[in-house]
Amino acid sequence: MSHGVVTLWITGLVAAAAGVALAVTAMPVSGQAPRAAIPRTADGKPNLNGIWQALNTANWDIEAHTARPALAMRPGPVVPVPAKEVLAFGAVGAVPSGLGVVVGGEIPYLPEARKKKDENQANWLTRDPEIKCYQPGLPRATYLPFPFQIFQSQSAMFVAYEYAGAVRNIYLKDPGPPETDSWMGQSVGRWERDTFVVEASGFNDQTWFDRAGNHHTEAMKVTERYTLTSPDHIQYEATITDAKTFSRPWTISMPLYRHVNANAQLGQFKCVPFVEELMYGHLRKTPLP
Amino acid sequence: MRPRHLTLGAFGFAALAASLLVTNVAAQAPAGIAKPAVASAKAGTMPRTADGHPDLQGNWSNATVTPIERPPGQPAALSKETVAKIEKGVVDRIQRLAAPSDPKRDAPPQGGDGSTGAAGNVGGYNNFWIDAGDRVAVVNGEYRTSLIVDPPDGRVPALTPEARERQAARVKRFQQFGEYDNPENRPLAERCIASFGSNAGPPMLPNYFYNNNYTIVQTKDHVLVMTEMVHDARIIRMGKQHQHPPAHIRPWWGDSIGWWEGDTLVVETTNFHPQQIFRGASDTLKVIERLSRVDADSLLYEFTIDDPATFTRPWSGEVPFEAQNELVYEYACHEGNHALSNVLSGERSQEKARDAAKKSLPRQ
Amino acid sequence: MMRIAFSILAASLVLASTVPVAGHHAFGAEFDPNAPIKLQGKVVKLEWVNPHAWIHIEVIKDGKPEVWMVEGGTPNTLLRRGLTRDSLTLGTELVVDGYQTKDHSLKRANGRDVTFTDGRKMFMGSSGTGAPKDGRDSTEGGTKKPGGR
Repeated sequence: MSHGVVTLWITGLVAAAAGVALAVTAMPVSGQAPRAAIPRTADGKPNLNGIWQALNTANWDIEAHTARPALAMRPGPVVPVPAKEVLAFGAVGAVPSGLGVVVGGEIPYLPEARKKKDENQANWLTRDPEIKCYQPGLPRATYLPFPFQIFQSQSAMFVAYEYAGAVRNIYLKDPGPPETDSWMGQSVGRWERDTFVVEASGFNDQTWFDRAGNHHTEAMKVTERYTLTSPDHIQYEATITDAKTFSRPWTISMPLYRHVNANAQLGQFKCVPFVEELMYGHLRKTPLP
Repeated sequence: MRPRHLTLGAFGFAALAASLLVTNVAAQAPAGIAKPAVASAKAGTMPRTADGHPDLQGNWSNATVTPIERPPGQPAALSKETVAKIEKGVVDRIQRLAAPSDPKRDAPPQGGDGSTGAAGNVGGYNNFWIDAGDRVAVVNGEYRTSLIVDPPDGRVPALTPEARERQAARVKRFQQFGEYDNPENRPLAERCIASFGSNAGPPMLPNYFYNNNYTIVQTKDHVLVMTEMVHDARIIRMGKQHQHPPAHIRPWWGDSIGWWEGDTLVVETTNFHPQQIFRGASDTLKVIERLSRVDADSLLYEFTIDDPATFTRPWSGEVPFEAQNELVYEYACHEGNHALSNVLSGERSQEKARDAAKKSLPRQ
Repeated sequence: MMRIAFSILAASLVLASTVPVAGHHAFGAEFDPNAPIKLQGKVVKLEWVNPHAWIHIEVIKDGKPEVWMVEGGTPNTLLRRGLTRDSLTLGTELVVDGYQTKDHSLKRANGRDVTFTDGRKMFMGSSGTGAPKDGRDSTEGGTKKPGGR
């Protein structure tokens, strides 16, 4: 079936592009890296400390997509053209292509949820929480076009994201079910041999997976797997389960690359002041024209 | 009707303390900076990380009723008996405010209910939302009346003439705006850009309201201190080989470099953000922090403010950080910030009403 | 009590900072002391968010239902006392006194005092004092381990 062929092709290309030898659907990555190759902490665990970043276009759209003029479009005389609000960006506002990071190619939406995704995409400018500098949630925080830093000690695993100062304390001891909904969820992590597995839940329904309108409800659970495949690469997988939105769990997979420059430092992107004109400009004493 | 207030706060503390002191029998604090806290715990009892340094990790709170500056007329430390009375007074007050109200009560008074400070003449909200701390700060066995220990009077030193001029210029610049004209004219905390007071610092001070919690994670090369409000992650680069960035690079919370002196973590921060002006400080402000483990349940946090362009002398403080067996919860502020739009739209609406009233006045 | 404490802080911070103080925001910036209000109605929605929780109650005004938003504090302090959003069930009747936002069209007020219809305070939790357990109170069992995880 052509769809299946295309899917396999995309999957294969993603794997090849990532430099990972194995098809991501088939084999678990844990245990593949030779023990001697990866840095370890004093207690023998793979050492995930460092500054990491994804190098793909997942934040634009986690499914495969071709390049197009803009995220917000309107009908044009011949073909759709960028919406007025984004026209001035020109090529800077254009969407780059991507082969997608979804294992199997397509997100298995329930029919109503697929409609909502399409509506989200059509209303991107008013609905994407990234525009308002809202906390990105998971797994989007991982593949935003900004680095993040992992702090790993014997008693803690903490992630600080450059984007909007988002943070995540991955508890090594389960504190019990989340007591409230949050943007970044509640994460509990454990080692399974050389893979760090995180179970995250307690999300609100406000975050998206990307700029294409892919969404979820507060029922979502995310299971992440972090595996050092070399001193400077983590293979990252995240499985999303949300029976209110998807017909089955589905997984994304991508490599994360270490910032290897000697003076690598996490920057700051505290974007709340950047969006005040957007969100509150109309409430100024003298709004701008 | 009795005015309502939100927290006990510094003077409330002072008033209680003053009313309970019969004679001044409390020990006088020695002049100058108190000696460093209890030296490293007996060998074998200090928890250490894999690289041999004291383990400072965990969730901590610096909530206290002890104010930053010593209220006038107070000794540096109080007796145990006085403290017990103060702390009981705090608990009693909380319980009193928790007592049931009359369900048939009227709306509060027209013109305001007389409450002041943060309660803003509108009575704020119920006290059960507040969690300001209910303990006097204890350092070296002393029950402190201020977090500032040097100068010996426990108060921020005088500003230099240069600092006063900078102040005046800043005030003048801001007087061109009404305080509700633009979002940029509102406090950083109301805009959800930073916490209130100097919660994240440095120096990391309690805010005397709530959520005075921190998470510390230590690795070989970094120490991370996350402040609950507003999920601010201070990343301290460890090792004297690090250098501060050029003077024009000024991140939020400044740039921090840390190192160990024996069992004390020392952190030096410079390059403070131009909008995070700590008590009038200049762009040459340097803050030195020292963090050490006192016992299983507490850290001692010491800070020194060094800014000759602003303060007539350096000044220092000591703040106990208590272990929290509680989670630090997400404080996503901007995402739910109805308050800021209420403040701005409120003022716009009142301006309109004032303009309409003016227009409807008969011509003179 | 608070007024003097705050004005000490405020006085020094006014000298220090560029903007009028109130480290957080003074309620006086948001609510109108000339617009007192008393509300009684059933909870229809709870926004368990920071910086302020908002309780939506449906009151009956002139025979018609009207939803008002009542501002509370940070839910984080309540969570640490074991109180969650579910601790206040939808449909519970509340009595609120407070002041409207300066923009009267918004139907919002501060929860100056929010109680049940029998006068008990809305969120009190088991200890009632709100004091975090810290091992120093001998009536509370167990020693505390730092970490909280």
